[in-house]
Amino acid sequence: MKRLLKQPGRLMGLLFTGMSCMLAVPQAQAEHDIRGITQANPTGQFNLYAFPFNMNLPEGTSLYMWGFGDMNSGDGRTHQMQGGGYALPQYPAPTLIVQEGEPVVINMTNYGVPSPVSIVVTGHNVTPTCVVSVMNTDTNQDNCDGLITMEAEVNETVSYSFTAGSPGTYIYHSIGGDNPALHTEMGLLGVMIVRPADGSRTAYGENTGTDYDQENLYLMTEIDPDIHLQMEKGHYQHFTNSDRHAKIWFINGRVFPDLFQGDFNSLFPNQPYESLVLAHPGDKVLVRNVNAGHDSHPMHYHGENLRFIGRDGKMLSSNGTDADLGRSDNTINSAPKQTVDALWTWTGKDLNWDAYGPINTSCTDSNHDMADDFTGALCNDQNCIDLENNRTGALGPDGFDDHNFQYCPDHGKELPVTLPGVGDLTLGGWWSGSPFLGDTGDLPVGEGGLNPFGGYFLVWHSHAEKELTTFDIFPGGSLGSVVIVPPSAPID
Amino acid sequence: MKTFSKKMLSGAIALTLLGFVGTASAVVNVQCPGDIDGDADWVTPGETQPANTKCMHLIAGDSFAVMSDDNPMYIFGFGDKTGVGNLPDVVIGNGILAAEWPGPTIELDQGDEFYLNLTNVGTVMRPDLFDPHTVHFHGFPNASAVFDGVPEVSISINMGSTLTYYYNIVEPGTYIYHCHVEATEHMEMGMLANLYVHPAQDMTGCVNGNQNCPVSQRGGNATGPGGYVYNDGDGTTAWDVEYALQFSSFDDKFHDASLFVQPLPFAMLHGTYPQINGRGYPDTIRLGDLPPPTDNTAPVAGHPAGKVTGTPGEILNNGDPTQTMDSVIQVNQGQRLLLRLSNVGLDRFWTITAMGLKMKIVGAGARLMRGSDGKNLYRETASLNFGGGETTDVIIDTSDVAPGTYFLHATEVHQMSNLTQLDGGMITEIVVN
Repeated sequence: MKRLLKQPGRLMGLLFTGMSCMLAVPQAQAEHDIRGITQANPTGQFNLYAFPFNMNLPEGTSLYMWGFGDMNSGDGRTHQMQGGGYALPQYPAPTLIVQEGEPVVINMTNYGVPSPVSIVVTGHNVTPTCVVSVMNTDTNQDNCDGLITMEAEVNETVSYSFTAGSPGTYIYHSIGGDNPALHTEMGLLGVMIVRPADGSRTAYGENTGTDYDQENLYLMTEIDPDIHLQMEKGHYQHFTNSDRHAKIWFINGRVFPDLFQGDFNSLFPNQPYESLVLAHPGDKVLVRNVNAGHDSHPMHYHGENLRFIGRDGKMLSSNGTDADLGRSDNTINSAPKQTVDALWTWTGKDLNWDAYGPINTSCTDSNHDMADDFTGALCNDQNCIDLENNRTGALGPDGFDDHNFQYCPDHGKELPVTLPGVGDLTLGGWWSGSPFLGDTGDLPVGEGGLNPFGGYFLVWHSHAEKELTTFDIFPGGSLGSVVIVPPSAPID
Repeated sequence: MKTFSKKMLSGAIALTLLGFVGTASAVVNVQCPGDIDGDADWVTPGETQPANTKCMHLIAGDSFAVMSDDNPMYIFGFGDKTGVGNLPDVVIGNGILAAEWPGPTIELDQGDEFYLNLTNVGTVMRPDLFDPHTVHFHGFPNASAVFDGVPEVSISINMGSTLTYYYNIVEPGTYIYHCHVEATEHMEMGMLANLYVHPAQDMTGCVNGNQNCPVSQRGGNATGPGGYVYNDGDGTTAWDVEYALQFSSFDDKFHDASLFVQPLPFAMLHGTYPQINGRGYPDTIRLGDLPPPTDNTAPVAGHPAGKVTGTPGEILNNGDPTQTMDSVIQVNQGQRLLLRLSNVGLDRFWTITAMGLKMKIVGAGARLMRGSDGKNLYRETASLNFGGGETTDVIIDTSDVAPGTYFLHATEVHQMSNLTQLDGGMITEIVVN
């Protein structure tokens, strides 16, 4: 899709054919960015507050949490259509999006967390200021003093200033009070993303080889519900860190299957961020893999290996110009408070069978999006047009269709085995009913139905399989997924 | 009384299938090109193995494995029934209580087309369960959903039937395979195994003309190295001896809960029997098969003798060994030792050391340790920390190593035990001759 948009002639063609098939195939923005907030609000600064809340999990738990919320009600949100007016305390905290070199100020007021709250930002030297005003008094005249940084007791404000460092992914969280380990456990944590100064849609800047089509956050945390119960009862001294034994595991603050639902879904009022990743074949997916918890997590990415490009906000580079030190893996050994940026691309190359199924000569696909112009159904016509390199635009074949990334050497090849009948199979809810991308098969009544585009769900999950549970219930926990959707399916 | 009579059990399975899966066709269907009689091999006269084709027939079922302190563990697992045929009575009769721990190793070559038939023979010790099973080829590149084996988003095979997976093998390296159904349960119960792919460079040597990598012994060159780990183009991953070591751990309370039909302790899951290739030390260095699993003859772990059947010493399956992989590592001084390490731990990370030996990490996640512009990112180290799902290829060059016995073990040294039995668990020996 991206390549189509680069070519004005084809774009016009697409628009005209798009007119006729608008109902069947809505043409949407084909790229995803991580949702968050910027300083582009009337104050020009981040204004967060800390407050307790309860959040509900799918197995029935109501967890008492402490969270940061956005006092600007999403005025600086990155996506106009989502998050407007959103000001609840949230898990995780609002994702802060800033630019390299940008002066950043986070004013943080504690409106009700019964422990002094603070903010530290990994990889950044932060200057705290105790704010005393009519509204905010330094209640006990201790000048917001704290062990590691300044802390805000209830109704106090601390302002944290720093300059956004090198592009990459960082964590900010509270640490302090009587028990520094308590604050991240209770939910006072979030992600800060620093975008390159040159404004390019890359992880580390123009010409670093880190451009991407889709950008997604994979933030891991874990919770011991016993601690939350003690805090809810006000037993602040009741728990010692040696007793901590996590029993619930999260991605982006949600557990399976809640994490498949959309961003800012009102079913999860305090958990605004989803972790279902959508990608078209050939898309470069930038994964910001963050462990903000206390334990290590081995995140395993199905479907294809990732190539690492950065760690802890630093490009993996020997020369400062490109990510030449990044290797490839399918599992990320995520240490606590470590961030890893990685690129992931699925093409379906070398399956040795046509991922789009048998060639269909009776459908029409004039815009080459693998969908019929009129019905929107899968259309794997006889064409696989490979005249140029999809990445560089250079003349000469690269194996992939120039429009839709279909892998031409496998075009028309049959599936080499016969699948058992549905009576011999157990069918997953996200199974489309067909082995082919973009296709949906006949499923028995009551089966499937959660995969309307006929996508390939490839799960991204913690491979410490114990972590696929929510408080003793399987399935749950940190079981996320990417969905490879056919080129015709919209991604926003 | 012989509780585990094969005939009784196959009868029970047949009854179960008739009674509870009435709508399913329940058919053992082995698919393998060139194989006429459906046994997934080409032994029968008249059959010809097509070039670059491999087939296998795995069963998924249950059985027992015995820990080094004599504690029998109920397991789910895979067994190799290639050559057994495709008659349901025969496959199921052979497949019940035949799960191995770990599962049969799958060894492939780059360029293979691999037809993996998986027949679900049910869990006869737990007739209340109707669990389907899958194979997840962990790390398979550009995977399709249909052959990825994740039941929530794909298909899984019911009892009595066969699902054939097709894999076109294009990337060499060290992988894992495991069942992904109710992943926490089935993987804790033992549906885990080694899988690795040899590179084309074994057969061709370096195709770029580099003189440091001749055709290997695997490719028929007696003077070459044993093989290569990857298509390195520079011979730096050459090895002379290779071993696959899979690190895992059983939680005895979880396995006992499953055996005695109790709620499974997911939240409290905690590995108590750390193992390499399905055994704790000193069983790791017992050559060949362990004896068939038997019920404990003395009290163990709070259980009386005869934990499973009440009869101490009773054979717990059909009398076939279920733990067939030792971890005895033998190497001659001067040889390059390749260890294909994989971690399938469910609840914690491990750090592996080979005391007195230097490990060179040349691969991880089924890829060469190489940067995007071709720099080798190999790392020489004394310790390797990895979590569940991580695989690492390590080469130990023994040129400067004095002959002797070296211990490879977890540096979390409390993992060197079999529950309460000390000097056990995650240890094996590297003998340099």
